[in-house]
Amino acid sequence: MMKTSIRLVMFLRSFAIQGSWNYRTLIGNGFAFAILPALREIYRDRSELEGGVARHTELFNSHPYLVGVALGAVSELEAQHADPRTIERFKSAVRSSLGSIGDSLVWAAWRPACALLGLTVVFAGAPWWAGPLVYLVAYNAGTLALRIWSFRIGFRHAQGVGAVLRRAHLDRVQHAAAGAGAFLLGVVLPLVLANGTGMPVSWPWIGAAIVAAVLGLRFGTAARTPILAAGAVVLILGLLFGLRP
Amino acid sequence: MIYLAAALFGGIVGLDGTAFPQAMISRPIVAGAIAGWIVGQPLEGAMIGAMLETFHLAILPIGAARYPESGTAAAAAAYAFAWANASNTAVSLLLALAFALVWERLTGGSVNVQRRVNEYVVALWGSTHTTGAVERRHLLAMSLDFARGAAVTMAGAGAGVLWLRVMDPIWNLGPGFAGGVIVAAAAGTAAAAIRVFGGWSARWKLFVAGLCAGLLFLLVR
Repeated sequence: MMKTSIRLVMFLRSFAIQGSWNYRTLIGNGFAFAILPALREIYRDRSELEGGVARHTELFNSHPYLVGVALGAVSELEAQHADPRTIERFKSAVRSSLGSIGDSLVWAAWRPACALLGLTVVFAGAPWWAGPLVYLVAYNAGTLALRIWSFRIGFRHAQGVGAVLRRAHLDRVQHAAAGAGAFLLGVVLPLVLANGTGMPVSWPWIGAAIVAAVLGLRFGTAARTPILAAGAVVLILGLLFGLRP
Repeated sequence: MIYLAAALFGGIVGLDGTAFPQAMISRPIVAGAIAGWIVGQPLEGAMIGAMLETFHLAILPIGAARYPESGTAAAAAAYAFAWANASNTAVSLLLALAFALVWERLTGGSVNVQRRVNEYVVALWGSTHTTGAVERRHLLAMSLDFARGAAVTMAGAGAGVLWLRVMDPIWNLGPGFAGGVIVAAAAGTAAAAIRVFGGWSARWKLFVAGLCAGLLFLLVR
């Protein structure tokens, strides 16, 4: 059982897990950096410690908010002096699932939903600081809870963490966050049209914005670049011909 | 002193994007507002940031994907808006946004370079795997990322000031036209995020419910 103080240091270090992100080992060096306090506690012999550190600097990847699952579980396995090949197999097994769970839960649902919450506050006419603050508080409350939970289950369940992840039904959380995001997207669009720049926008432009929104809804991310390109073309035309309706 | 604060904040934004702590200070809605506050124009900074955020709702940082770095670009645009003494109109706002959309591509490239540099950083001190070597490599990579963030933000602010000073007087757009372009682009790119949430067919009921809530808010406001 790892000391609480060591767990706390590991938890704090995990915030910098991507500090040396690179294309060769991804977060390998960051993983070694975060797990070091545990290895120092487990291996008193210098050569054993260096061997442990070397193993963990190898290629590894995970979603940054779920890396606590791997850090906790691997620390427990190291503390039990498990076979290094077992630890390596465990890391390989959780690598892709931690990445994909985090991507769909945080990047594709929680973050855009929180951003839309912040934008709703901004475009509703709140003071300038309110939108960013609401966004930061909402987003970090959720991700901090996720970081703490992932650390806890990693330490508590070690190799059995896969079953815990399956039972946790994170897909339901993702589904709920995505639903909230879709609702907030509906709230934001009329607010953008009414108060997007804080200046009056004429009806023809509101019509153009509605058409752009329909294209965005219909074609999704494929519509994003053409819409921005159309805006750039209008800008250039504005420079050349001085459009002033 | 204000330039130092601006550069330090740029470094924090750059660092927050990937390296530490990913608290989303690096999102344009936050970075733009804080950068504007640092240089005394929080409202304009917040508006630049909010608009950039709507443009980026549908962009996801999945895996090793290369994507524009919107946070440092938002901070650079907010600094440029203030330091160029841009007229407070939709035209200047549009110019600042257009600049940010170009600059974020360049800063996104600098993230890629940083990751390549990190390949060498994590191989420093040979095959030594002492605990100190691992920590030194990691902290060096983070320091470089901080410096990169500060550099691209301040370089962007300088380039943005030039852009606004040259283009603002000659850009012959009416404010209504400029505001219209911004709103249309924001509406279209924000709506594209429906795909992120599962697509129109899966989410149309919630979207329409939100639309009604938004319209109701506008009516009773």
